[in-house]
Amino acid sequence: MYETIIIGAGIAGITAAIYASRKRMNYLFLSNNFGGQMNIAGEVENYPGIVKTTAAEFMKVLKKQLDYNKIKWKQELVKEIKKTGKNFVVKSNKGEYETQTVIICTGARPRRLNVPGEAKFAKKGVTYCAICDGPIFKGMVVAVIGGGDAGLEAVDFLDNIAKKVYLLHRGPKLTAQKYLVERVKNNPKVEVILNAETKGIYGKVAVQGLRYMQNGLEKDLKVKGIFVEIGRSPNTEMVKDLVEMDEHGHVKVSVQCDTSMPGIFSAGDCTDIHEYQYIISGGQGATALIKAARYIAGGVRNGKNNIKKN
Amino acid sequence: MVKEVKVFSTSACPWCVKAKDWLKKNKVKFADIDVGEDEKAREEMIEKSKQMGVPVILVVKDDGSEEVIVGFDEGKLKSALGL
Repeated sequence: MYETIIIGAGIAGITAAIYASRKRMNYLFLSNNFGGQMNIAGEVENYPGIVKTTAAEFMKVLKKQLDYNKIKWKQELVKEIKKTGKNFVVKSNKGEYETQTVIICTGARPRRLNVPGEAKFAKKGVTYCAICDGPIFKGMVVAVIGGGDAGLEAVDFLDNIAKKVYLLHRGPKLTAQKYLVERVKNNPKVEVILNAETKGIYGKVAVQGLRYMQNGLEKDLKVKGIFVEIGRSPNTEMVKDLVEMDEHGHVKVSVQCDTSMPGIFSAGDCTDIHEYQYIISGGQGATALIKAARYIAGGVRNGKNNIKKN
Repeated sequence: MVKEVKVFSTSACPWCVKAKDWLKKNKVKFADIDVGEDEKAREEMIEKSKQMGVPVILVVKDDGSEEVIVGFDEGKLKSALGL
């Protein structure tokens, strides 16, 4: 019987594992990959103590920190979590483990447009990682879909690469932070198209363009690259019958990072904090683990939280 | 036997860094090609892998046969490289 099983190896899970190890807990740390969304991220410039780095370098440092603390991360894909009495059984593709508590740090994945052609042309012009695949579109005309921070950061990154960048946004106003909006508005290479609802992506072997609706009219845009940056979907399918969630499937957590199910804690982008920042996910990871340890010890924070079942 | 290994990547792509670190750790010599800079290589990558995502790892065997691996897939790399 484990005291806790940490699921997910993004910054939330990694932080939880560091705390579990230092508390000498009997724990397991499982994830289908190391780094989570850091694998599709660019520069890190807002993490205290680190002036500027890349997500790739940041992951290397984190891996070193795990090694220093002798933390074993196991590459296993968790399929199911079941409650058995007061405890839980975590089933992965490699085994079944019983535990007193579970820390869900499963993060999120890029949200899909769900329009015709999107799946067919994935990696054939349609991409969800501007920082990875962007340079392949050097000198080409491309479109970024999404007027939030991620979308405008992608536009910024593509500025030195693409010939022209169309920025399509569904709403009447870009929702990204002010400094990003200013930068895009002052960029002659960028054309912002508002109130644009993407309807479909077409091409032959690779993408040739997209169709969108604007003010009741269907319009066509000839582009070779389409960067989809319309937010994220939480990876919470495995706990959907166990804990309370919001309407988009984020695990509802209290400030203690506990959930509606005593013994299950959660941290990071899979929760309903909706902020998507390394420092916030890390902080939640530490909180979740410490509160789980208190729960095991039968302390005051015994899992009775303020998240109510509907 | 493996004759040549090429890694098609871009400068900031985290999976590319992981793939290259893995090859180094396993003492596999490879040509590191930045498709953001090298247009011909970009075309070669798209033609061989039939897609536009990185990394792409091309393993050329002594008999001239080629194996194209899209993404960082340890299992496929091990079998292609005979590790």
